[in-house]
Amino acid sequence: MLGRNGYRNRVELLQGTLDMLILRTLQWGPAHGYGIVQALRTQSGEALQVETGSLYPALHRLERQGWVRSEWKQSESNQRARYYRITAAGKKQLVEDLSRWEQMVAVLGGILKAAPTE
Amino acid sequence: MSWLSRLFERRKDELAEEIRTHIALDVSDRMNRGESRSKAEAAAAREFGNAALVQNVTHEFWRWKRLERFAANLRYAFRTLRRSSGFSITVIATLAVGVSATSAMFTVVDGVLLRPLPFKDPASLVMIREAGKRGPLGYGSPYLDIEQWRQRSHAFSQIAFYSNNTRRASFLEGAAGAMHVSSASVSADLFDLLGAHPALGRDFAPRDAGGSVTGDDKHSILLSDTVWRTNYSADPRILGKTVELNGEHFSVIGVMPRGFTFPFTGSNFNGMPLVWKPLVLKDEDALRTHNGAPSYEALGRLRAGVTLAAAEAELKAFQPDIVKPYTDAADREDADSISLRSYTESLVNGDVRKALFALMGASALLWLIACLNVTSLMWARATARKRELAVRGALGASRWQIVEYLLMEGMLLSGCASLLGLGLAAGMLKLFEHGLETQFSIHQSLTPNLPVLAVLLALTIAGALLISAWPAFAAARASIDATLRQGSPQQGMGRAHHRMRAMLVVTEIALSLTLLVGCGLLLRTIYALKHVPLGFRTEHIVVANMTIPSYKFAGRDMTTALYQPLVDRVKRLPGVESATLLTDVPLGKTFQMIFTFDPEGNSADAIRRRALQAQFRAVGPEMQQVFGFQMLRGRFFNEDDTPTSQAVVVVNRAFVKAYFGDDRDPGKILGESLVGFGKNRRSVVVGVLDDERQVSVAESSQPEMEVCIPQITPESMFYKAAEGMSMDLAVRTQRSISLVTPELRDIMRTASPDLSASTFSTMDQIVEDSFGSQNLAAHLLEIFGGSALLLCLAGIYGLLSYLVAQRRQEIGLRIALGAQQWNVMSLILQQAGWMLVAGLGTGLAMAYLGTKGLQTLLYGVKADDPWTAGAVTLLLLVGGLLAALVPARRAARVDPMDALRAE
Repeated sequence: MLGRNGYRNRVELLQGTLDMLILRTLQWGPAHGYGIVQALRTQSGEALQVETGSLYPALHRLERQGWVRSEWKQSESNQRARYYRITAAGKKQLVEDLSRWEQMVAVLGGILKAAPTE
Repeated sequence: MSWLSRLFERRKDELAEEIRTHIALDVSDRMNRGESRSKAEAAAAREFGNAALVQNVTHEFWRWKRLERFAANLRYAFRTLRRSSGFSITVIATLAVGVSATSAMFTVVDGVLLRPLPFKDPASLVMIREAGKRGPLGYGSPYLDIEQWRQRSHAFSQIAFYSNNTRRASFLEGAAGAMHVSSASVSADLFDLLGAHPALGRDFAPRDAGGSVTGDDKHSILLSDTVWRTNYSADPRILGKTVELNGEHFSVIGVMPRGFTFPFTGSNFNGMPLVWKPLVLKDEDALRTHNGAPSYEALGRLRAGVTLAAAEAELKAFQPDIVKPYTDAADREDADSISLRSYTESLVNGDVRKALFALMGASALLWLIACLNVTSLMWARATARKRELAVRGALGASRWQIVEYLLMEGMLLSGCASLLGLGLAAGMLKLFEHGLETQFSIHQSLTPNLPVLAVLLALTIAGALLISAWPAFAAARASIDATLRQGSPQQGMGRAHHRMRAMLVVTEIALSLTLLVGCGLLLRTIYALKHVPLGFRTEHIVVANMTIPSYKFAGRDMTTALYQPLVDRVKRLPGVESATLLTDVPLGKTFQMIFTFDPEGNSADAIRRRALQAQFRAVGPEMQQVFGFQMLRGRFFNEDDTPTSQAVVVVNRAFVKAYFGDDRDPGKILGESLVGFGKNRRSVVVGVLDDERQVSVAESSQPEMEVCIPQITPESMFYKAAEGMSMDLAVRTQRSISLVTPELRDIMRTASPDLSASTFSTMDQIVEDSFGSQNLAAHLLEIFGGSALLLCLAGIYGLLSYLVAQRRQEIGLRIALGAQQWNVMSLILQQAGWMLVAGLGTGLAMAYLGTKGLQTLLYGVKADDPWTAGAVTLLLLVGGLLAALVPARRAARVDPMDALRAE
């Protein structure tokens, strides 16, 4: 369909890593979409700019899967915003994702760092 | 649908707000960092990207997008179709014609051929019949043979048997007089074999190894649910009570479940409720002679994994061994082989099956023609809407979305057509109710049921795809750019499109021709059947079929005690010219008795006479006045033939031929003594009837022997067989049946209350019913064929009108350059001409192949009859050219100035 092909995740994050990053961010407390983008940018030292076109679909997908819950609250600047909160299922998912991620890093690292053998 | 869209809207609104908040937060952050408001707003918007797209993509995660689009498409399709209501109505009506014919026919097929039998695993039930050099026997087998099969066969898990002699009514005495029931005698294990068990009480329990019922259960009886409810008001205390059946006492041991029926043939022919008696063996069952031993129908259940052919081979292998003890060589040769038929299949005779398949095929053809016609219309519409679709594409609709929308339109049209078609089908079934019931002996009401609705749904979807898929894909493939750049919406039907529509019309013509040839053949059959010289007059004859509890007249002569006084009173009714009694009217199907000789010896005469099977009829002397047939030689019965006078019989010409081997001198048989009426009472032949169609209109005269009712006294051998069962009363009167019937019924009720249940008909109706399967098929095909013809002509007209409208400018130019009216007309007619020639050519080939299956239904005409094919071709040709003439004349009248100015 036109829309999907025309709108890819331009950040080129590894598949599935965005979900993990979002869940991780939400572990420090509930946040709205803008807050999540800012938090990720700050923590990555301005290197990672998450596209809203990836973020919102991801947030809604996570909500549909029951890993996050959302509610409308007043923000610190007194604006009504939708806050996302990680659920117990989300926390479990994050632990799983993290261990898988570490495993993958170890495996990839082993391959990439190995000295070529003749 | 508004609540649905509100639901969508709420989530959409929330998303929009979420996105707005995001941007607002970004803006205020940037302003906090010192940017100006306008700069901050621009930067925030740029960073966010395409907000509408984000919203759309995110929204789709909630999976409602699909449903939402579906709803929108449906709403939009509904609106467009309502706007072009003329087009929609044409399409819906056309499709409805096809759908109604197909679903009506399928309802009948479902009721007759696919009817689920109320037994366990009906597919493994098999009828076992003996066969011989004369083919499968028309009657059952003696007990001794069945006993052998039961002992020796391994192919069957069970073999049970029953007496099928249940066509005549039995009389079950109840509180409100005798109830007409049909009673089948069944072996003790029959219900077990069928996997049916009484809903109340028990089965016939004590059984011997042979399967017959013995002991106390000899006088037990099982009731059907209907009998239990109507006669005993569903009283559960009926168990153990004694009931009286045909004057015999039985004790009720059980009631079968609702809906259980067995056997399906014979008894159920009249739709009478059933009771089941135990089959008790008698002394005669130890015999193996035809006419000596009672014959039973044998029903077996195949073991799992055994095929019909394997079972037949097994039985065939030892059948010669089984028939060895037959004392009569001819009987032995008649039964030395076996013929098996699946029970389900044995319920429907081959002719009916053929007729049904032919009609089913015809209705499917009609459906296809209707669909093709509509496809052609949809093509035209898709072409006219090319610009609209291109605009949608230009605005961002994907090809698939356009296809989806067009399919939705097709679905909507097809759905409406199916609803209308369902109504039409119900109406059509109502219209042909009598014919369907007599021809297919259907007794449940013919209303579309679940399988029929499933088929209807399949037809709806298939129809929708057929009519819209092709135009839709073509429309979606079309280039947006080229279409938009083109001028008027009328232009731009390419040659390919045009050829496609022409092909559709050609196919339609071919299919219609096939259908019409079939219809023509059946009409000629009906015409031939109606003009067969029957050998007797049929008009102004009212026939009453009487059924009477003969056991009530035990010891009395029913002729003198009941029938003769009845006839005398009927004769005195005003307007009655003559009246007669007879066991069955010609072509009637209520009673049949076959007379055979047992000549000794092996001379050529003896062998021929052994093969002679004569229709046997007991008739009153007034029959000649009522039916007005001709005597070839000798005399018919008259008032002087009395119980005390010389016993006489009358035979027909076919009998003479079968008896002597030729019929050069029919008079030779006069005075012959063929049969004895009793001890020392030989009869002589006194007359020869000219040939008449007494079995069926299509069959030539069968050998027949008639005896005179007044001569048949209770002592004579025919009395019990002929008079005890049923008797017809034929009355010749100029008055209408509706006037005479109540008076006849009154007389009968006075004679005996049991006669009030007699059924009335006219001889004309009986004749009509006797060639009913052809008649019914012809009438239905008339409707199918007529509809096909109309659709086909509409198709030709539609395409050519469209062409003329499309080529208006070109035609105007031609006329301006000097083309004559005739030139222009011939341009259009040529177009019609080649479509007709191509369609008719293909159609003739299809008809030649297709009508071969009809052969057995035809009478007096061959399936490849050139006259019928020729006449139908001419009809379509003339009709097609007439349909083309209207647009051709319109083309000729195009005003060149007008047409060219429109450029």
